[in-house]
Amino acid sequence: MGRGSIGYRIYTITYLSYALLIVLPIAWTLLSVFFTEGSLNDNLGFLDKKILLLLGKSALLAFLVALFSTLLGTMTGFLLNKTNVVFRGFFKVSLLIPLFISPYILSVAWKDFFFLVFGNSGFISSFFGVGLVLTTIYTPLSMIITGSALSNINKQLEESGFMITNFRRVSLKITLPLIKPALISSFVLIFIFSISEFSVPAFFGVKVFTTEIFTQFSAFYNHSMAILQSSLLILICILLLFTEGKYLAEAPFLSVGSKGTSNKTYNIKNGFSLLFLSGWLSISVALPFITLFIQSFKGGTDKIIQAVGLLKPTFANSIGLAFTGALIITFIGFVAAYGTRTKKGTSFDWLLLVVFAIPSTIFGISLIKFYNHPFLDVIYSGYAIILIGYAGKFSFIAARLIGNAMKQLPDSLGEAAQIEGISEINRLRKITIPLIIPSLFAAFIISFIFSLGELGTTIMVYPPGTEIMPIKVFTIMANAPQSLTSSMTLIVFSVTLLIIIGFYFLAKPLVKDHNSYVQN
Amino acid sequence: MKIRILLIALLITLIVTGCSDNSSEVIVYTSVDQVFSEPVLKEFEKETGITVKAVYDTEETKSTGVLNRLIAEKDNPQCDVFWSGDPLRTVLLKNKGITTPYESPAARDIAPVFKDHGYHWTGFSARARVLIYNKDLLSQSDVPGSVFDLTEEKYRGNVAIANPLFGTTTFHIAALFTVSGDARAKQFLDDLKSNNVVIATSNGDVKKRVVQGEVACGLTDTDDAFEAIKEGANIGFVFLDQKGIGNLIMPNTVCLIKDAPHSGNGKKLMDYLLSKQTEARLAESCAQMPLHKGVEVPENIPSLDSIVPMNIDYDKTALKLEAIQNYLKEWAEDQ
Amino acid sequence: MLHKLTLAIEANKLTCLLGSSGCGKTTILRLIAGLEVPQRGQIEIANKIVSENGKILVPPHLRNTGFIFQDLALWPHFTVYKNIAFGLSERGEEKVKETVFDMLDFFGLQEQAEKYPHQLSGGQKQLVAIARSLVLKPEILLMDEPLANLDVKLKHKILEHIKNLNKNFDLTLVYVTHDHKEAFAIADKIVVLSEGKIEKTGTVEQIKKSENAYVSYFLEY
Repeated sequence: MGRGSIGYRIYTITYLSYALLIVLPIAWTLLSVFFTEGSLNDNLGFLDKKILLLLGKSALLAFLVALFSTLLGTMTGFLLNKTNVVFRGFFKVSLLIPLFISPYILSVAWKDFFFLVFGNSGFISSFFGVGLVLTTIYTPLSMIITGSALSNINKQLEESGFMITNFRRVSLKITLPLIKPALISSFVLIFIFSISEFSVPAFFGVKVFTTEIFTQFSAFYNHSMAILQSSLLILICILLLFTEGKYLAEAPFLSVGSKGTSNKTYNIKNGFSLLFLSGWLSISVALPFITLFIQSFKGGTDKIIQAVGLLKPTFANSIGLAFTGALIITFIGFVAAYGTRTKKGTSFDWLLLVVFAIPSTIFGISLIKFYNHPFLDVIYSGYAIILIGYAGKFSFIAARLIGNAMKQLPDSLGEAAQIEGISEINRLRKITIPLIIPSLFAAFIISFIFSLGELGTTIMVYPPGTEIMPIKVFTIMANAPQSLTSSMTLIVFSVTLLIIIGFYFLAKPLVKDHNSYVQN
Repeated sequence: MKIRILLIALLITLIVTGCSDNSSEVIVYTSVDQVFSEPVLKEFEKETGITVKAVYDTEETKSTGVLNRLIAEKDNPQCDVFWSGDPLRTVLLKNKGITTPYESPAARDIAPVFKDHGYHWTGFSARARVLIYNKDLLSQSDVPGSVFDLTEEKYRGNVAIANPLFGTTTFHIAALFTVSGDARAKQFLDDLKSNNVVIATSNGDVKKRVVQGEVACGLTDTDDAFEAIKEGANIGFVFLDQKGIGNLIMPNTVCLIKDAPHSGNGKKLMDYLLSKQTEARLAESCAQMPLHKGVEVPENIPSLDSIVPMNIDYDKTALKLEAIQNYLKEWAEDQ
Repeated sequence: MLHKLTLAIEANKLTCLLGSSGCGKTTILRLIAGLEVPQRGQIEIANKIVSENGKILVPPHLRNTGFIFQDLALWPHFTVYKNIAFGLSERGEEKVKETVFDMLDFFGLQEQAEKYPHQLSGGQKQLVAIARSLVLKPEILLMDEPLANLDVKLKHKILEHIKNLNKNFDLTLVYVTHDHKEAFAIADKIVVLSEGKIEKTGTVEQIKKSENAYVSYFLEY
């Protein structure tokens, strides 16, 4: 596209804004720690055997979580998007629930469950326990990513397989290989989330690399050391994403047929599928939920009423911020994905990735150090700083989701319009965007959920006196009976769910349109 | 067109929220649990008409909050007053040059031991470390009298302590080192380890485990103990070492931040917090013991006069803490 | 939507289903293949009922049919070799390599064996699609407008291939098109469809001479 075109201008402005407002503060902080606070040699001295072993342990945990989450997420995504198993709609929403709840609170629910049932929580307070809880939390993410990809496969590719062999073999040899980009994205994203997670391992008393970083912050107040150690994490994440990008770029199988992308669903015997879905629902949702319910209503409805009273002042702020944040994030994700697609280069992707890989606290501290100046007060003392936090943390995920959807659009669709003289911006508006509406919507929803629950960065930068939901839950939790904490969790969850359902109904006409014109 | 209007509206909203009239406000960061600190701050707001904007803290093991924020904001402070649940963190801030002296008239009759020599911080409303125990699992006669008793065989696997790297537990251990000497304190910790002490994530977690019966007893603070009793749990608590080194008393502390944006209002808030009125309020809400004389407290609240306190210098303890931190980290992490 | 349609396809002949878009010809093909199921009525292949009243009794991969889709549906993640070999290895056939290379030779595609579909020309893709189906020795080959995207010269060349297919490979061919010239070039029998109904069935000569109003109208264009 021409340099003067609107599309190019929007891309450039978004790119520069992101680089200046979000990446620059981080770069500033990292560089100042590495080079101005002690010599580079001294600073690299923290790389001892113990730290590296710990990093290895974290990487192993993250690897296992990513593997199992992707496996389970793909299975559920497949059953819910490519078969006509009963109660699909119900499962699609209910299996997302672990995403709406803070990992810490799920950990507490799991521990209490084990204690209630077995009288002993030793089993869950282990490497395995951390892995289990993290897997239940991140499987829904994989489900969304792979499910979205599965529903975009050209059905004729599968049908030509059916002429040769049965459903099982077609799924294994044709359907799944065709969604390799989504499988890899899911694995990498979840790996990064898991390796950066600290509240779950900290709660179960399992020492991992992030608990080490956290200790440097919270016990030693040694920002420099914490930041130095974090740079290792960031490096690993970058390496991983680099490998992923290279692999996908060289893969020859990203083109799809020109006849559109109607989805084929299959009749299957309900028995095993229902068993599997219900089983997973029980483990990932029902178990912790029942525990939360028991805890909340132990002494009657007092605590729930109290929880409502405590959280009510936070609703408007939190929902408004999360909504605005999700809009901004989806926009950035779209622009970045589009830029990569139209070969403006992948540097925007890299920027998003680097910020995504940064632990929340360090991101928060970078923002403070950069924006806490009198002439930037307008940003630092208002909601803007929180929105910058959200945009930094979650734009990468949105870009991935939307990017995957764009990859599955045939080039010919845009090219046909280009030949007819339709401008780039109109091609975007009238062709690309309508065809990827489900992914835009999914990206928005995920960004909303994550923004609504974000704690690590927000707590560092939120303007004094502002009431924000996740912060309030955790500050009250510091000295509240378990029943109140569980009640607050249930309230947060209910609010999030209600809003998601609201969005779903609002977006349904859009998605319906999309489905109707990709049928052929 | 619509998008343009939306963007402009967004920008205006952001600017408006960023700029506000701050002539009659005060900004306070507090590590005292919101359920207790918020009502006090709201009362101040009502009485003085000064708007209080607070930043509350989570438990240390859930997120890094207030203190790190204060340290990061050092070059352009946003906060006026820091209200801490213990003196150690305030001493840390003083040592980093983040506080400025203020001698409040309201604190004149508070004993000098609870104040910084240079008035960088002032103490009020104290908590104490206590041993809480589950009455179903431990009879009165079996309750230990000294913290050192916890290493005895009969308490094997039945004692909980919060991670000594965080919170008031750090303070407690550092105080033990200061008062009993390094050798004794290290021996104590090693013996605790061999006696299968359970390391919980926080004081609240200790409370929960004792209440649930997972362990028979645990070290925590008075406000956690009182909360548990209020919730109807069958627990008791004791002050330890009443015949020995004494029990650790931990005052709340308040300090004025250097170059605070509203130091005038900050001083007013400090005066309020250091008043008898606030102490009476905190005694009622979270069983914190007044340091002023003659403050009316509910019956069930112990008075400082009835506790044999540990005799420590807070500044020295803070230094000791820094010295033993790495050792504590090793101790907490070696399984 | 097909309306109460009865159609018999003769073995070892090339039958063309001719009609404009939306007349139901692709649907018929998909019904024969087992990719769609008739709500009412039945489909019989070689005197065996394979679909009946909403049920698929014999799944597509067991009907011994081949299907060439309109956009060919070559698997983008398989090479040409793998696209053709896939069916053979799934069926546990022996001498897969030999069989595949024989087929590639037949169509002059030896040089393309290790290429991916997106690296081939339109004509080459076409031939790969046909080779892929033929290598499994189907009894029936179903072709859904296979020449829609090719130039005239290539069309002729491939039509020649197709015409000879049922002789060289002992096949029954069902060929869907909207282009009567194609049909006239290769068909043994033509079935003209309109709006889900059969207008006329007959040989090329019979269709050319037909007085059926729709057929005449259709052939004018």
